[in-house]
Amino acid sequence: MRTYQGEFTIEKPRSQVWAFVTDPHRMGPCIPDLIELNVESENRFRTLVKVGIGPVRGKFDLTSELTVEEPGRTASLSIRGGGMGSGVDMKAAMELSDTSGGTVLKWRCDTVISGPIASLGGRLIDGEARKITEKVFANLKAALLSAADEDVAEEAPAAEGDESAADEAAAAEAEEGTTAVKDV
Amino acid sequence: MALRQTELRPLGKPVGRKEDPRLIRGKGRYVDDIMLPNMLHLCVVRSPYAHARIRRIDASAALAAPGVKLVLTGEDLAKMNLAWMPTLAGDRQMVLATDKVLFQYQEVAAVVAETRAQAEDAAQLIEVDYEPLPVVVDPFYALTPEAPILRDDKEKKSNLIFHWEAGDREETEAIFREAPVVVKQDVRFPRVHPSPLEPCGCVADYDTARSKLTFYVTSQAPHAHRTVLALVSGLPEHQIHVISPDVGGGFGNKVPVYPGYVCAIVASLKLGVPVKWIETRTENIASTHFARDYHMTAEIAAREDGKVLALRVKTVADHGAFDGAADPSKFPAGLFSIVSGSYDFKAAFVEVDGVHTNKPPGGVAYRCSFRVTEAAYLIERVMDVLAQRLKMDPAELRLRNFIRKEQFPYRSPTGWVYDSGDYEKTLRLALERIDYEELRKEQAERRARGEFMGIGISTFTEVVGAGPGHTFDILGLKMFDSAQIRVHPTGKVIARLGVRHQGQGHETTFAQIIAEELGLSVDDVLIEEGDTDTAPYGLGTYASRSTPTAGGAAALCARRIRQKARKIAAHLLEVGEDDVVWDGTAFSVQGLPGRSVTMKDVAFAAYTNVPEGLEPGLEASYYYDPPNLTFPNGAYIAVVDIDKGTGAVKVRRFLAVDDCGTVINPMIVDGQVHGGLTEGFAIAFMQDIPYDADGNCLAPNWMDYLVPTSLDTPHWETDRTVTPSPHHPIGAKGVGESPNVGSPAAFVNAVVDALSPLGVEHIDMPIYPWKVWSILRAHGVTE
Repeated sequence: MRTYQGEFTIEKPRSQVWAFVTDPHRMGPCIPDLIELNVESENRFRTLVKVGIGPVRGKFDLTSELTVEEPGRTASLSIRGGGMGSGVDMKAAMELSDTSGGTVLKWRCDTVISGPIASLGGRLIDGEARKITEKVFANLKAALLSAADEDVAEEAPAAEGDESAADEAAAAEAEEGTTAVKDV
Repeated sequence: MALRQTELRPLGKPVGRKEDPRLIRGKGRYVDDIMLPNMLHLCVVRSPYAHARIRRIDASAALAAPGVKLVLTGEDLAKMNLAWMPTLAGDRQMVLATDKVLFQYQEVAAVVAETRAQAEDAAQLIEVDYEPLPVVVDPFYALTPEAPILRDDKEKKSNLIFHWEAGDREETEAIFREAPVVVKQDVRFPRVHPSPLEPCGCVADYDTARSKLTFYVTSQAPHAHRTVLALVSGLPEHQIHVISPDVGGGFGNKVPVYPGYVCAIVASLKLGVPVKWIETRTENIASTHFARDYHMTAEIAAREDGKVLALRVKTVADHGAFDGAADPSKFPAGLFSIVSGSYDFKAAFVEVDGVHTNKPPGGVAYRCSFRVTEAAYLIERVMDVLAQRLKMDPAELRLRNFIRKEQFPYRSPTGWVYDSGDYEKTLRLALERIDYEELRKEQAERRARGEFMGIGISTFTEVVGAGPGHTFDILGLKMFDSAQIRVHPTGKVIARLGVRHQGQGHETTFAQIIAEELGLSVDDVLIEEGDTDTAPYGLGTYASRSTPTAGGAAALCARRIRQKARKIAAHLLEVGEDDVVWDGTAFSVQGLPGRSVTMKDVAFAAYTNVPEGLEPGLEASYYYDPPNLTFPNGAYIAVVDIDKGTGAVKVRRFLAVDDCGTVINPMIVDGQVHGGLTEGFAIAFMQDIPYDADGNCLAPNWMDYLVPTSLDTPHWETDRTVTPSPHHPIGAKGVGESPNVGSPAAFVNAVVDALSPLGVEHIDMPIYPWKVWSILRAHGVTE
């Protein structure tokens, strides 16, 4: 298992951030390399994502489930699934707290990757898994920032080109506040 | 230069390999070359998890996919009582997982379709719902009380498979208490894989009309496989015909029976058509049986002058999820107790704990007799640690401790009776040929200039040719072997043996033995192996056993033919049998060398002019149960130079002096030595199969698990001494594995010798450049 964690501050009220992160329609598109998003219920969504690690290229079918632990403050997202004979099991925990002028989002993600993608990916897997995890939260931050203050529910995802540019920028930004911990 | 194959008395001569014209022109016939009408293809679905419970398997989408004829799961096999199968070590192994998986890449389901591509595509559609369980990767952790018990199917609730001991604990302890010098070293032999060029595979062809299964398979032991299949499947043994066609390398990997074989057979039984299964490279490395994975600690008690007194060894052996070690029944740690090696220890005590982890099963003898490489590497490595500690020359230390030639037959402190050897002679020849003294002078000069040059010696003893049936069996089958010789009317011979070569050159060497005994040429003798309907029963080719066992059977079988031929010769020469003498090429009348008949004359008479009262025809069979094992030995010397900037090790010279007893074909022996040295080189410098904490296999392909090419491989020099085995019919001992057994220690000893000015006493294999570079950097040699 690999653990990644980080935190960032966002200049939005906590209630608005909370509304965003607990909405599958908004959280779904934050998953990088998304091909398809199917929201099955208010706390469950399925995604089809593009994966490429080392020589392995293909699609992963992931089921995500949101659990609210303390409304307005803590929630966790479990992401499970796989493809190409491989499996992914991620448990992401989010904690929101108020700070002057915004909200602090602390996250921690335990990731287990199994199957050929883990073994064929070899030495690349750690870096890739970390990159993907960080990108989720970087996308989240970018999407939150671009969301209009008063209208959280009807925000449409940005055009694809813009979005990936935003990804890169946000990923670079998120880098600093991130630490990766390799569990034993 | 190869000898013409028509010459008589071919034993000991470099006869060109009879199999080469076929194999090197791509005309070999391997399992994957077999195409049968209506043949379907099987693909195995494997677990992505190293340890997980299976909640549910949904095969509906796969069954609906184009071309799919059948999906098999563990549940289907359980109905046929085939979900589990026995391993060669007396454990059992899941064919397809029923309730849980125990290693990554474990077999979970099988898909059969019209084409391989369809089968592979459909395999992706099988949905398996796993519940991951805690993974045990470290065998030491597996032995702690906190570790989860992996094999809940077993009666014994423990991850310890066995605890095995050899030697005398008390005597050893007593010597250690008094010894003036004790050295101790932890030595790891990494998990490696034989990785033959041709992976494993089979074609199962069940003929419903005749109720007969023809099974083409990559097998080093076709007869044993037939018996195991009969026991597992319940099919009567005479209705199973196992054919092992040309085999593209085995090195121990093709001794076990694999789940894919059973699945292909079940599929053929269910569908009534042939089913082919050929594994991928990744499947071969990540699921079929590995080798080594020994965590060893050795201690030597010695006197100040270097005389060794006692040896103590403790080993934790990682056997993976199922105990699939291919060892003789009474030897769960194989012949590892040969670990006292070429040295005259007063006492020794050896312990091995076999442990389950969430890794693929195995422990096969990869180009060695059972666990002998681990033993040889350990003692040869630790002898150098002792030499370094005593500031003695490693050659001198060895010469001081060798079992002397007059001590043979020598009883080792762990109970082996070494048949023969002249270790001093072998080492002295090696030292002389490589000009050892000159090399040491050069080394001193280079060291003075700050360069890193190393000389490594390994003077190993092997124990091969299992074996005497009273001690060695596999699943109860005694480890004899067999030969059957038929001489046709025109004096041409077909000989069948119970072993199965995979590149060793049996078609030539056994023809040489038989031709030598019968006064024929190699061209007159056709060797056939691998077909259980025609060949006599035998336990197969591995552990350097073919020449010691089947080679002995071939010689004795030919002598049986000669006994009868003598009677016919007497009849043809019109003299009494006692007056007939055999000169190696013909029968003649004692005192009248002009009157003679050849084996060809006799063969013709056996069918056309048999003396009254004698059975017509000329054929014989022989089941040879050797009285003892054979003990080949060698002295190997490696010379290396280390690049200070990169840590890269260059093997400047490597000399292998082998003593394998009587040499049947020096060219083939050289070829065997070259091949084994190359594999030993790979093990020393580039091979390891690591697992991450989740049990993911991190080297399941040839990008991460390296196989040396001709560009990586050093130039090999070879030489020989000949100390014939006193009990083998022609004095031969076997050689195919010596170079793999003996060379890793020579390479590592050379590298450690090069780095010894820095105080380095040991480096674990594989010696990657980064390991050497890290050491150089830690000592401020490089930036």
